[in-house]
This record gives sequence, C-alpha cells and structure tokens, in this order.
Amino acid sequence: MLKLCNINAGYGKLGVLWNVSLEVNEGKFVALLGPNGVGKTTALRTISGIVTPSQGEIWFMGKKISGLPVQQITRLGISYVTDDGCLFSGMTVMENLLMGAYTIKDKQKVKNSLEKVFELFPRLAERKKQFAGSMSGGERKMLAIARGLMLEPKLMLVDEPSLGLAPKLVLDVFKTLKELTTIGVTVLLVEQNVNTTLKIVDSGYVLEQGSIVEEGSSQELRENDHIKKTYMGIA
Amino acid sequence: MDSTVISDLLVGGILRGGMYVLMAMGLSLVFGVMRIPNFAHGEFYMLGAYFSYFACTLGGFPPAIAIVLAGIGGFVCGALMEKVTFYPLRKRSRGDWIMNSFLVTAGLSFILQNLAQALVGTDFKGVPQYWGGSINFAGLSVSTDRIVGFLIAMASVAIFWLFLKKTRTGNAIRAVSEHETGAMLMGIELNKIHTLTFALSSMLAAIAGAALLSIIPAYPTMGLQPLYKSWFVVILVGLGNIQATIIGGFLVGVIEAVSSFSLGAMWQDVVSLSIIILVLLVKPTGLFGKKMKV
Ligand SMILES: Nc1ncnc2c1ncn2[C@@H]1O[C@H](COP(=O)(O)OP(=O)(O)O)[C@@H](O)[C@H]1O
Ligand SMILES: [Mg+2]
Repeated sequence: MLKLCNINAGYGKLGVLWNVSLEVNEGKFVALLGPNGVGKTTALRTISGIVTPSQGEIWFMGKKISGLPVQQITRLGISYVTDDGCLFSGMTVMENLLMGAYTIKDKQKVKNSLEKVFELFPRLAERKKQFAGSMSGGERKMLAIARGLMLEPKLMLVDEPSLGLAPKLVLDVFKTLKELTTIGVTVLLVEQNVNTTLKIVDSGYVLEQGSIVEEGSSQELRENDHIKKTYMGIA
Repeated sequence: MDSTVISDLLVGGILRGGMYVLMAMGLSLVFGVMRIPNFAHGEFYMLGAYFSYFACTLGGFPPAIAIVLAGIGGFVCGALMEKVTFYPLRKRSRGDWIMNSFLVTAGLSFILQNLAQALVGTDFKGVPQYWGGSINFAGLSVSTDRIVGFLIAMASVAIFWLFLKKTRTGNAIRAVSEHETGAMLMGIELNKIHTLTFALSSMLAAIAGAALLSIIPAYPTMGLQPLYKSWFVVILVGLGNIQATIIGGFLVGVIEAVSSFSLGAMWQDVVSLSIIILVLLVKPTGLFGKKMKV
C-alpha cells in the first residue's frame, strides 16, 4: 500500500533520513520506532508531502506521491496526525471535525463519519461546542485522531500519540488505533515507547540516526537482542 | 456635557465606527490568514469610491447598484492583485515574509495612487447625494446618506461574519488563519484561500469607499485616512483578531468623536494614538490579545 524506496530527506542542507526504505501493507498496524531526534517525525512529514525527499521515491496504492503537494496527498487518502495535533484552537470541536472532512462533498458521508467518530470517542460528542484550545492534552489527542478519521483515510500516520499522556490513556489510544485497523484503516504509528508499542502492532521498523536498523514482525522485534538491550533494558 | 451632546457624540462616533469596522475587518483578516500587513488597503477604498462614482455618473445606475458594482470591482481587483503580486512572491520568499510583503503593499499603494492620478486627475469626484434628505434619530437630525451608509456597512459586516462562521469555505479561511500546516493537511488549497481572502478584504474596503461617496468625494490619496484608522483599530484590539475589530472599530469611532468635540478635530488622531500606545504598553498583544480569535 505504502512504499518508501531509498529515501533521503532533511531540512535545507541538514540531512536527516538516509536511505530509508519501508513498506506498509493494507490493513496492517505498523510501527516506526526509535529514540528522540532520529528522524521519525521527518519520515512522516516526508510521506505527507510537508518535506520533499532529496532522493528516492514514495509510492501509495500504485501511484508515485513523492513530490506531490500536501493537499493532493491528503486527497489521495493519507491522513497525518502530527505530534502537536495541528488543531484549530480557536475553533470548536465540531468545527475541527468538519474541517477534517473538508475534501468530502457528500453531506451524508460526513454525517456518517461524524457518528462513527463520536462512537469511537464519546467524550468528543459531549464537547462539540468547546474550543479545541481549551481542552486537556488527552482530549486534544483524541480530537486530532478523530479529525484525521473524518477524511475517511485509507492510511493514517500517527506521530507519538503517547507523548504527555498518562499510561492508562496511552493504552486507550493504542487500542483505538488497533480498532481502526479492524475497520479497514491502515495505520503507521511513530513511537518511542518501544515496549508498549510492540505489544500491540503487527510489525515494526527501528530507526536510528536516520537509517532503518531493524525490521520485522512485532514478535521478532521483541526477541531481537539489540532491541532487548537498547530499548527494553534486558541484558 | 448634557444628554443631547452625549447622544450626538455617541451617534456620530458609532456612524464613523461602522465604517472603521468594515475597513479594519478586511485588514485584520488579510494579516491573520496571509501574514500580510496591508498598506495598500486604503487604495481599495479609493477604487471603490471611483467605481461607484463612474457607475453613478457614466453608468447612470442607482446608488444601491453602484455600491454593489463597486464591491464586485473591489473583489476582482483584489483577486488580480493577489495573483500577480503575492502569489509569485510567496512561492519565492520563505524567510522575512512579513517585511517583503509589507514592502510590496507599500509599492502597490504608491502605484495605485499614481495610476488614479494619471487616469482621472487629482480633482474631487463626488456625487452631491445618494438618497438625500435627513432622518430624525434619537433627537438628532442625521443625513439619510450617513444612516444608509452605516446600515450598508453593518449588513456587510454581518454577512461576512456569517460567511466566516457558517460556510465550509469561510471555515476553511479561519482554519488557515488558525494553523496553516493543519489546514494543508486537511486538503485545503492554500492558494485558493489566499486569493479569496485578499479579494474579500478588498471588496469590503471598496464597499466602504463607495458607500461614503456622497459624503467624501473620490480623489487619488483618499485611502490614507481610512488606512490609518483601520490600523488604529487592529493595533488596538490585536492583529488577526476579527471578532474584536468589531468592538475596536466602534471604540475608535467614539473616541474620535469625543476627542474632536472636547479638544478640537486636530486632536482626534493624537488622542487615539495616545490611547493605543498606552494599551500596547500595558498589553502588547492589543486589548483582546490572541485569545478571542475570529
Ligand atoms: N523544521 C526543522 N528544521 C530543521 N531541522 C529540523 C526540523 N525538524 C526537525 N529537525 C531536526 O531533524 C532531526 C530529526 O528530527 P525529528 O524528525 O523530529 O526526530 P524524531 O521525530 O525522531 O524525534 C533532529 O536533529 C531535529 O533537530
Ligand atoms: Mg518526533
């Protein structure tokens, strides 16, 4: 479904990603793991078109998307939930959600998406009229994910939803993402939280210093010596 | 002060303020959405006045139609201006956008003033009256043209406000002003929104110029005064804060009316500016800061 081939990317002269190749298959829950500052967010920005790769190609459902503008990539069905949420803080929860469905003209479809999203996040249904900027961190995360879903994406990129959340909430968010894969949304999740993430995803990639160093099913990764040593504190 | 003086000042201030709101709203929107400090905003007011003048005199249209035509003219000119200047500029400049775009607007203002001068000359081009007559209001007699001008301003502000709040496109404009990257990720075409925003802002300014034609005739540099006034308003309440410009416009109108009554007309700008400086000293983000957006 999504394929990155030998991607180099960065900011101006600063190179961040080096020869990154990865693949996400339809219906799967895939993680991109790695410590702080290795280029995970940059990888998602490159997929979504915010950063243009200096080398390599990105393919999505049989179409080359590297070099396309952000809006066009969104319209193809890739929804990117950033780590800070990129919410419209001066707009209400409802207005944020409707903006998520901006590209969908069919009103009935938008209504159905709203119902689905409110079912998934009942808390948002209670707070339709509240301004996004006045919500708690956890609620903002939910809203960002919910807004990303309004577009009826085929693929969802989610950047560190666990950041700043209480452990119990993290589990809730991960479970919700898992639920999405059962209703036909493919998820690429970026996380530092290796231990928890590997318990829930299907497979993963590990990024270090801008390059993929390990890949495999979550079971393989859990049993990998390097990962045990560096990320799980098991000697 | 007795009560007739107070009501006189209030009515005068509010009538003035209505126009400031109409001007300031577009200025604030363009800054909020596009980050352009627009110093050519007054020139669209000037264009609107000329459009209405020619629609009335050459075209022989009734006032209401002339004002509508001026609004459409302002919209088209604004859209063209955005496409030929800011659009290419945005593609090339990354850093220092505010400074670059400011210089472009200053240049545009100069060009438009001189163009007007070259094409139609420097003399006043006005109409003696739109509707004529006067209306008794709160014990005062106010000219009908002023009242109708005010009503046109308020109707435009209200319609524009509803457009921003209730329509899909209006919401997209607000989304871009709230979070540009977020808006892009929602699939919103920034280029279209930018052109539309600039065109709408120019339209509001043109309506203001057109609605006042019988009171202030058209001349090439007529845009300066309303430009300053609308900058007063947006600086006072906070840039990019559209909701607050409505309050700010009336506030500046009333402040001016009161200060020109008690100190003389030449003092009104001094008083407004002093108040703005005081506000900024205490609250650098303006009266309402960034909290109460659009
Ligand atoms: N907008 C930016 N401009 C320049 N450098 C950046 C920008 N964003 C991130 N970087 C740099 O790119 C590197 C990778 O960052 P990032 O992709 O955010 O890592 P991660 O998400 O894995 O923590 C870091 O060294 C960071 O300083
Ligand atoms: Mg990151």
